[in-house]
Amino acid sequence: MKKAYDVIIIGGGIVGCAVAFELAKRGRSDILLIDKEYLSSGATGRCGAGIRQQWGSMLNATLAVESTHIFETLEDYTGYDRSCGLNQSGYLLLAYTEKEWEQFQENLAVQHSLGVDSFTVGLDENIYQYVPHINTAGLYGATFCQKDGHADPFHCTFAYAQGAKKMGVDILTYTHVDQILAEQGKVKGVLTDQGEFSANTIINCAGGWAPGLAAQVGDEIPVFPERHQIMVTEPVAPLGADGKYMPMVMSFSRKFYVQQTPHGSLIMGIGETEPISFNINSTWQFLEKCSKVVTDTLPALKELRIVRQWAGHYDMSPDRSPVIEFSPHAEGLVTICGFSGHGFMVAPRTAILVANALCGEDDSIDIKMFASSRFQSGKLLLEPSVV
Amino acid sequence: MRIEEHPILKFDRGKKITFYYNGEKIEGYENETVAEALHAAGIRRLGYSPELHRPRGLFCAIGNCSSCFMTVNGEPNVRVCVLKCAEGMQVEEQQSKGVVKI
Repeated sequence: MKKAYDVIIIGGGIVGCAVAFELAKRGRSDILLIDKEYLSSGATGRCGAGIRQQWGSMLNATLAVESTHIFETLEDYTGYDRSCGLNQSGYLLLAYTEKEWEQFQENLAVQHSLGVDSFTVGLDENIYQYVPHINTAGLYGATFCQKDGHADPFHCTFAYAQGAKKMGVDILTYTHVDQILAEQGKVKGVLTDQGEFSANTIINCAGGWAPGLAAQVGDEIPVFPERHQIMVTEPVAPLGADGKYMPMVMSFSRKFYVQQTPHGSLIMGIGETEPISFNINSTWQFLEKCSKVVTDTLPALKELRIVRQWAGHYDMSPDRSPVIEFSPHAEGLVTICGFSGHGFMVAPRTAILVANALCGEDDSIDIKMFASSRFQSGKLLLEPSVV
Repeated sequence: MRIEEHPILKFDRGKKITFYYNGEKIEGYENETVAEALHAAGIRRLGYSPELHRPRGLFCAIGNCSSCFMTVNGEPNVRVCVLKCAEGMQVEEQQSKGVVKI
């Protein structure tokens, strides 16, 4: 096997695979992508896989909108012969306080400036056209965007990986990167349990594990893993209006999200306060808590049986926006992490941003603002609307 | 058809009741499961599979396999192999995925 590459990418989630694809597309295809298990085995394969354009900050909205455009044609874009499962069944965002509702109005202005077709939904008859069985008690208002939805996180990752492979990228799974090797302030390669590989550039896309790897060369990135649990019900006939599947229903103040998949099952989760940990065990307490919160808004779900649950972790950054760090300690090391639970939906555009920077191409977004130095300078990338 | 005599088992079937299968009157006993009563009445098809719409009948008979999902009194996805018969119960075949009552 080849031992020397131009670029080594650590992490075979959606971010690692998308970066590999975008770099290869720009002619830098001498790449080795390494994952410690299988592709999408980390946070990507455990995520809720929502795709939302109804963001509050211009930056997140831009990343999400441009990523959604790519998701819409991802099969053609990557040359994938299967479906990536994009289903634009919409997002219904609920506001339960006046303050939240005012924030939603500001968010709508941001979204409209980017051409997102999001709008206010009246709480009288109108809202039942989207979710017929919603309990509107305590609701202040709601907004909807039909182009939001979800995709299959596995197929999206495989699409990028296959596309990259066709352009010559090597993929090595079940290989653990033990050490990032650097010499005289420059990266040399990586030491894995399958031996040493050398490279000029190392892109660290290891999600929750990325800060630990970056720390080996002295980079301090304040991103930490946090467990988030998900549960799934038995499949039932479409719960939306007119025989359509129920859109994603989401509240930031009550901290929950629930959506119906094309299979008919309902996937849901809540925002919980969790310690910093790689623990991804499931708990029965979550089932009880999540059921309570969700069935308060959607009482019809009370009769459904829960058939499965799992957990994964968010890689949380202090301002809940991603970190793209060009290492000040080891030239050639780039760490991309800290997506804080919404990495999947912004990965396509983020990968383009990183690939453009590495290939010296222009980009409309300034990549420098994602550096972790923002946590010292105070130039945070704040986002008002996250679960 | 029901087994009346058995060398080991005794059948305490309880009171005779009637319930409805797709609107049709079926006789059963209160200590029997719905699946038992339907089986005794010669009904083998309990519903259709959600994806390929093929007929589904009794399979595990112990509440594990989901093959006997039926709609009972409007509630979808009920495992009739572990549900006791009751007077006047409305049992219906499911054509596809269960429809949640709203």
